Amino acid sequence: MEELNIAEQLVLPCLYSLIASAAFGVQFNIKLRHMITAAIGATITQLIFISYELSGTREMLCYFFSAAAVSVYAELMARRLHVPVNMYLVIGVIPLVPGGYMYNTMITLIGGDVNAFLPQFAKAFGIAGSIAMGVFVVSAFIRLVRVIYFTVRYKGSKLFFR
Amino acid sequence: MNAKEILKITSSIGAMLIQYGAEIYRVEDSINRIAEAYGFMENGKSVEVFAIPTSLIITVNEGDNLPLTQTKRITNRSTNLDRVDKLNNLSRFVCTEKPETAVIMRHLEEIKTRRVYGVPVQALSFGVVGATFALFFGGNGLDALFAGLISVLIFYISRLVDKVKPSVFFQSVVCSFVISAIAVIVSRCGLTDGFDKVIIGASMNLVPGIILTNCMRDFIAGDFLAGMYTLIEALLIAVGMAVGAASAITLFTLL
Repeated sequence: MEELNIAEQLVLPCLYSLIASAAFGVQFNIKLRHMITAAIGATITQLIFISYELSGTREMLCYFFSAAAVSVYAELMARRLHVPVNMYLVIGVIPLVPGGYMYNTMITLIGGDVNAFLPQFAKAFGIAGSIAMGVFVVSAFIRLVRVIYFTVRYKGSKLFFR
Repeated sequence: MNAKEILKITSSIGAMLIQYGAEIYRVEDSINRIAEAYGFMENGKSVEVFAIPTSLIITVNEGDNLPLTQTKRITNRSTNLDRVDKLNNLSRFVCTEKPETAVIMRHLEEIKTRRVYGVPVQALSFGVVGATFALFFGGNGLDALFAGLISVLIFYISRLVDKVKPSVFFQSVVCSFVISAIAVIVSRCGLTDGFDKVIIGASMNLVPGIILTNCMRDFIAGDFLAGMYTLIEALLIAVGMAVGAASAITLFTLL
């Protein structure tokens, strides 16, 4: 196993995602209290992503699980603090955006070499897809749980004795 | 509360929610809940709502009278999640307290005039995003400096471009072109080692994050029409970014 450089591989990326996501909060006009919570969510996402990456999980799965984790965080915090979920979700997935791969896709496209372009394109698209799927799975599951909960709570007797 | 008043408050709240970047299912859900709270969902009365990211149609049916319909066209959308949060609180308050129309309209006026971050603060936030992402993707200090400066410039340029109300595609082409052009020129002058980290960092400001998130959440909620609309918008922005960057890079590396 390779030597682990904690400062470079762990601390700095988390710090960068904390600062960048807080700055994104300003762009979306989120007030300070929610901005801090959202930025902490982004940092946790980055931490989870790095730990999956270091443990040698396949890349797409890293993105999938990190996106699922941030989705859980966003849903829980939003329920607790009574705010719309997408406030935390938007900021939380920011560190996962595959900017480097998208840039490489564009550069290889200019280069005109199809054999270099296709793998980059597939990777960028696959990563975007796995982030979407991670958010999708968790949100759909939580939605299902909510629907069942409210149905049982408010229409419980009607539901069973109709 | 009569049909006219319920139409007025639901259309105002719905239009503002769409305008400030809420998901479409949230808009329809809020309107349905408000209508239910005022007893407009029983005894032959009904409130029907149809919303997409560019328009809102509400019809109120009150028993034997002719139904009332209002259409609102939403042209200028701007992301402001703080106002979405406050509107969400307002509709929750409306559902529990059932206040008069005047009270609701006063609350809406308050939300409309809530403070936003000033122009210099927003410019600074663009700069910080650009600089930190240049570092995040493996650039050095100089890359971060130039990415930050270009991002601040891009903020003012996009404000300028916004005034002529272009399509999202055109706007992202222009912004991306300027970013890449300056980055390539700077690296050709020998100030930075390469232009890729600068471009990636500064371009992160243009990534349509809120649009994609809303798109996913609308798809989950079963609002496929709104989801498709926002998905296409996000794809157009991404293609525009690629076109702008590609043309700038080919143009300025050849010179």
